[in-house]
Amino acid sequence: MAEKEIELKIMRQDPETDKGPRYENYKVPYVDGMVVLDAVRYVQEHTDPTLAIRWNCKAAKCGSCSAEINGMPKLMCKTRVDTIGDKITVSPMAAFPLIKDLVTDVSKNWEITRKIPMFTPKENMEKPWRINPKDVEKSKEFKKCIECGLCMDVCHVVREHYTPYFGPMHIVKAASWDMHPLDGVDRSKYLNKEGGLGYCNITKCCTEVCPEHIHITDNAIIPEKERAVDLQYDPIAMLIKGIRKKEKVMK
Amino acid sequence: MPEDYETVESDVLVIGAGGAGLRAAIAVNDSGQKVIVVSKSLLGKAHTVMAEGGMAASLGNVDPQDNWTVHYGDIIEEGVYISSWKMAEILAKEAPSRVLELESYGALFDRTPDGRIMQRAFGAHTYRRLAHLGDRTGLEIIKTLEHQVIHRDITFYDEMYITNLIKEGNRIVGAVGIKMNTGKIFLFKAKAFVIATGGSGRVFKITSNSWESTGDGIGMAYRAGVKLRDMEMIQFHPTGMVYPPGVRGLLVTEGVRGEGGILLNTKGERFMLRYSPEKKELDARDVVARANYREILEGRGTEHGGVYLDITHKGSDFIKHKLPAMYQQFMEFAGVDITKEKMEVAPTVHYMMGGIEVEAETERTNVENLFAAGEVASGLHGANRLGGNSLSDILVFGKIAGENAAIIAKNSDMGKINAEKIKNEIKYINSFFREDGKNPYDVIDKLTTCMSENVGIVRDAEHLKKALEIISELKKEAGEVGTKGMIKYNHGLLGCLELSNMLISCEAITNCALMREESRGAHTRSDFPKKDKEWIRNIITELGEDGNMKFGVKPVDEMPGEYKNYVKPEVYS
Amino acid sequence: MAFSTKEENDSKFQKITRFPRELGELRFWSFVLVTVLAIYLMYVFALTEPVQGLTDPFYSPTILVLPLVAGFRATCYAYRKDYHRHLFSHPIGCSVENFNKEGEVNFPGEKVGRPYSGETGIFRLENLHRYFWYAAVAILPFFYYDLYLAMAYRGEFTLGVLLLILNTLWVTLYTFSCHFFRHLAGGNVDCYSCPVNKKSYRRTIFNRISKLNGHHEMFAWISLASFFLVDLYIRGVAAGLPINILLFRL
Repeated sequence: MAEKEIELKIMRQDPETDKGPRYENYKVPYVDGMVVLDAVRYVQEHTDPTLAIRWNCKAAKCGSCSAEINGMPKLMCKTRVDTIGDKITVSPMAAFPLIKDLVTDVSKNWEITRKIPMFTPKENMEKPWRINPKDVEKSKEFKKCIECGLCMDVCHVVREHYTPYFGPMHIVKAASWDMHPLDGVDRSKYLNKEGGLGYCNITKCCTEVCPEHIHITDNAIIPEKERAVDLQYDPIAMLIKGIRKKEKVMK
Repeated sequence: MPEDYETVESDVLVIGAGGAGLRAAIAVNDSGQKVIVVSKSLLGKAHTVMAEGGMAASLGNVDPQDNWTVHYGDIIEEGVYISSWKMAEILAKEAPSRVLELESYGALFDRTPDGRIMQRAFGAHTYRRLAHLGDRTGLEIIKTLEHQVIHRDITFYDEMYITNLIKEGNRIVGAVGIKMNTGKIFLFKAKAFVIATGGSGRVFKITSNSWESTGDGIGMAYRAGVKLRDMEMIQFHPTGMVYPPGVRGLLVTEGVRGEGGILLNTKGERFMLRYSPEKKELDARDVVARANYREILEGRGTEHGGVYLDITHKGSDFIKHKLPAMYQQFMEFAGVDITKEKMEVAPTVHYMMGGIEVEAETERTNVENLFAAGEVASGLHGANRLGGNSLSDILVFGKIAGENAAIIAKNSDMGKINAEKIKNEIKYINSFFREDGKNPYDVIDKLTTCMSENVGIVRDAEHLKKALEIISELKKEAGEVGTKGMIKYNHGLLGCLELSNMLISCEAITNCALMREESRGAHTRSDFPKKDKEWIRNIITELGEDGNMKFGVKPVDEMPGEYKNYVKPEVYS
Repeated sequence: MAFSTKEENDSKFQKITRFPRELGELRFWSFVLVTVLAIYLMYVFALTEPVQGLTDPFYSPTILVLPLVAGFRATCYAYRKDYHRHLFSHPIGCSVENFNKEGEVNFPGEKVGRPYSGETGIFRLENLHRYFWYAAVAILPFFYYDLYLAMAYRGEFTLGVLLLILNTLWVTLYTFSCHFFRHLAGGNVDCYSCPVNKKSYRRTIFNRISKLNGHHEMFAWISLASFFLVDLYIRGVAAGLPINILLFRL
C-alpha cells in the first residue's frame, strides 16, 4: 500500500497558560478505514503526549469524544477519515468552556440535570408495575441518548447567545421522563418558565447532528412546547384542565 | 510540578462510577452516610454503557418455571464449579429485586404483552431471563443510576484518576488522585473505601473493552496487599470486529450466528463442521472462539487476521429487520454492507472473571475498611460468565458493598495519615515528568501485543513463559517511561501510571495461567487439554513480603448439601 | 440562570472576530418579499368570482379569511424554522463554520452576542398556532365545496378541476399533519393503555399522524406552491387562455 498521509489541524490551547488558541498541523499516516479518533490518538501517542482528548468506548456508545470536525459537530470515533477527505480540522465543542485542547468542561450539564424534576411515579400504583409494550416506545426513543452534547454544541441558542435555555439534550432528558407511561409529573411549564424552552426556534440542527438519530425537535421539543401551551397560553385548554381537576376533587 | 494537594473527607469513598460504583454510592447515601464517588472518565460514560443484551434475573415473567435455584445452578455449571456458591446464591436471589428497584428509579424495560418486564433468552441460561431495553440495557442502567446520583446530590469527582491507596497498618485510610481536568492532586480521606473500577481488558491488544479498563483497581489493591483470585480466567467473545483497525475488537453480537450466520475460512470452508459437527456455529462461546482462533493461527485467516462471518444468504430484508444494529455498525464503521459482503471477525477479550477476592456476604477484602464490587471483584463467575450476569452482578454486589462500607464507616473513625506517604506519592507522580522518558504508549503497545499473542485464547507453557520474559523486560522499560508538559489532562502521564497497573494484571494473569495445568471454562491449555478434578481450586495472587508476586492455591468452598441438588454433577472425560 | 454567562465565557475564550456570516450568502428573504408582494397584488387585483366554475383557492371561501390562513402558516413549526433561519439568520445553517471567506480556519468559541429572543417576546404569539389550526379546519370544507362547484359547473372533468383536487389534497395533508393536531390527537397522552389491557385508538391515530407529521415540512411547501400555481392558472383562464382542457365528461 502506498504511503498516504492525512493533514490534521488540531486546535491547541490551555486557557490557563496560553493567550489564545492556535492550530497545529500534524501529519498522520493513513490506515484503511481509520476514524478521526485514530488519527488524533496517533498524534497523542507518537508526536505529543500532552495533546488532550477525551475518549472512552470508541464504539459510539459512551458519547465522550465529541468535537467539531471540519466545522460540524461529530463524534470522532464515528467519523471515518475517508468520508471527509485527507485535510481534517478538529476543534473542541464551542458551546462548552474549554479545559485544554479538545477537552471541554461539560459539568454545566449536571447542574441542569439536577434542576429538572426527575422521574416521579404516579401515586397508588399496584406493584409490580404493568406497562403496555407499545406504550414504552415514546420514552424509549429518548433513552437512546448517550449525552454526547453534540446537539448542545450545534444549537445556536446555547452556542451564540446568553439565554436561560437548557439546551436540546436536557429537553430530551425531560421528555424521556415526561413521556414515561407511569410518570406523574408534567415538566413542560417548568421547562418553559425556567428552562427557556421559548428560546428554541425549532431550526432542527440538533436533530441533524444527533448520532443516535433521535428526532429531538419533532418528538421532544415540539411536544413539550405544545404541552406548555396547554398549561400557559391556551385559555380553553386551561379552562378544561381546571374543570377536570375540580371534578376529580369532587369525586 | 505540583507539591501541594487538596484534602477531601467523606465517610465512604467509592472509586469507579460504573454500575457497581454508582449503586454502592446510592446504598451509602441511603444509609445516611456521606459518600464521594470518583471516576476516571466522565460521569455516565463508564464501560457499563457497552452492555447490550440485558440483565439476568429469575423474575419468571416469560418462563414461570424459572426461579432462583435454576439461576443458581446455571451460574455454578457455567462457572465450571469454581465459583463461590455463596455469591451465586446471593446473586440469584437478589437480582429480581434489583431489576424492580431500577424500574422504580425510572428505568424503562421492554414489556411482555400483559405488561410485565420482558425477558429474552441468552446462551447457557435455562430459561428466558434477561430483562432488557432493546440492545441498550447497559446505557439505560448507567443513565438511571447517574440521575439518581445527581438528584441525590451525591458529591462526585469525575476525571479523577486514583493513583494509589494509602494504607496504615492493615487498614486503608486514604486515596491519592489526580483531577485530570484541573491538574490538581487530591487526597481523599474516608473511613471506608469501595473499589469498583472494572476489569483490565485493555491489557490485551484486541478487546471489546473501553479505554479505561486498564486494571487500575486491581493494581492499587494489589499494591495495598489485597488478595486477587483466579486472574487467569479471561472470557473471549468469539466474534469481534477485525477491520478497520479503529474498531478492532468491537463486539459482533451472538445474534448474527443465532439468525443463521456461518463461519468460513479463506478457503471457503465452513470450519465449524470440523470442530463441532452437531451444534456448529451455535456451540458454546469458548468452543467457537477457540475454533476461530485455530483457523487464524493455522494460516486460514484473512489478511487482517480474522475469519469470515457470512449472513448474506439470508437476504437483505431479513438482515435489516433482524439485525439492524449490526447492519448499521458495519455500514458506519467498516463501510461493509453485511447484506452483500462477509464480515471479518476474530475472538476478542470480553470480560475478566478474576479479580479482587471478596467475602461473599459483605464484599469485604482481606484489607480492613476496603470493599470491592463489580468486574474488579471475583468469585461469582468462576471459570466462565453467563451472559447478562455482569449487569446483575454490579447492582447486587454494588449495593451490598455500599451497605457494608456504610456500616464499617459508622463504626470507625477517620484514620491518621502519615504526611510522608502523600509526599512520596506526589513525588512518584512527578517522577514521570522527564525529558528523556521513553514513550509509555510504545511499552503499552508491546505489552498488549505480547498478551494477545502469548496469553490469548489457547495457551501453552512455552508461550506463557515467553510472555513472562517479555513482561519482566517491559517492567524494566516501565521504569524509564516519562512524559513532558503539564500535569493537566496529560495522557502521557496517564499512560505511565496505567502501565504500572497493567503490568500487575499481566503478570498475575500469565502466572496463574501457567499454574493452572488444565483446561477449564475460558482457560484453555493446549498442553493440558483436559479438565482436572484436582483443579477445583482457586488461585490466589498477592504481594509477597519480598515485593514479588506470591501465588497460592486453595480449594473451592464446598456448597451445603441441599444446594448440590440445584446443580448437575460435574463430569470428567 | 443562564447556561453560560458572558463573563464566564470571556474568561475561558479568546475572542476572535469572525467573518460576518450575513455577507455573501444567498438570502432567502427575497422569497419572503415575493410572497408579501404577491399577497398585496391579490388584494388589489382580486379575483373573487369563480371562473368557469373554478374558484381561486386564495378566495375560498372569501379573501377576508386570508389573514387566518396566513396566520396558520406563519405560526406553523415548518415555516417558523424557515423564517427564523432565513429571515433572521438564527442560525443560517447547521454548520458551525470554522472557515472564513478565504477558506482559512477560524477558531470556534466566540459568542456572536447579537440580540436574540427566539420565540419569547413578540414571537410568543406563535403559541396561538392551535387557534389558527381550528380556523383552518373550519375553512377546509369550503375547498371541497369549491371542488363540487367546479365539477358541477358543466359536468366536466377539466385540467382545472384536477389542479383544484390536487391543491385540496395538499392543503388537507398539510392541515392534518400539523404538530398541534398530532398533540391534540394523542401526543398529550403518555399512557394509552392505563390500565394495561385497555384498548387504545388514540395510540393508533397518534402513530398514523406521526407518520404524516414526518412530512409536514414537505406538505407545507408543496401546498404553498400549489396555491400560487392554481391562482396563476385560474388567472390565465380568466384572461381567456385556452388552458382549462377537458379531460372527460362526468
